[in-house]
Amino acid sequence: MSLFSTLSVSASGMAAQRTRAELLVENLANAETTRTADGGPYRRKDVVFETQAASSPFASMLDSALNGAPAGVHVSEVTVDESDPEQRYMPGHPDANANGYVAFPHINPAEEMVNLMDASRSYQANVASMSAVKDMILKSIDLLR
Amino acid sequence: MVDPIGNALEKYMDLLSARQKLVTANIANADTPGYKTKDLDFQSQFQNLLAGGQPQATQVAGLQTKNDGNNVSLDREARLLSENALRFSVASSLMKGQFKALQSAIDEGRSA
Repeated sequence: MSLFSTLSVSASGMAAQRTRAELLVENLANAETTRTADGGPYRRKDVVFETQAASSPFASMLDSALNGAPAGVHVSEVTVDESDPEQRYMPGHPDANANGYVAFPHINPAEEMVNLMDASRSYQANVASMSAVKDMILKSIDLLR
Repeated sequence: MVDPIGNALEKYMDLLSARQKLVTANIANADTPGYKTKDLDFQSQFQNLLAGGQPQATQVAGLQTKNDGNNVSLDREARLLSENALRFSVASSLMKGQFKALQSAIDEGRSA
């Protein structure tokens, strides 16, 4: 009963961390990108996490009793860094302005890597909790044997 | 359920799964700004459940709050995660013993 919806809480955490990792990798890949479809250099993206009622097809009595407490997580918003881009003096660059400066994204690869490690560890923590819950479900099923 | 012990075991396992769900939610929200760790007071909630009540979750006091208003401690949650799983494992073994005893009575003690 309740244990199966617990799996969807873990799954929501894994999905959120995966989205975060995707954006961080995108930031790293575009750290030197000076052209985008919107014009101007690439802008750093990040996620905002928000709690969310765990979506389970079978909501149990116990769930409703823990009123609103069991919460999954989801990405509520993707923020785009609107700070001024970094100006580098590269007169030969095709995207250089009249003064010879090129606008580069404001991305610090070290910061992105640290965040990526954080996302990866959080993902692992969710996998661990999912596996613990799975063991509990298997133990319950084992009662039938 | 078969008898008072089995009934208590059933409630115990119910409460363990409710607690595991809170732990899982805490882990999933380890990076959510403003999220506060939730847990249930096991002793009092178990009595409450035996008396026919429903478990109530509460916020945990005394945890260090980070700059983003989140106070999830992954170490605490990891400990509770394994503790709950182990307790559940013990409870399910005991429950299995209950069924075995019942089966043995049905078989008039002939089979193991």
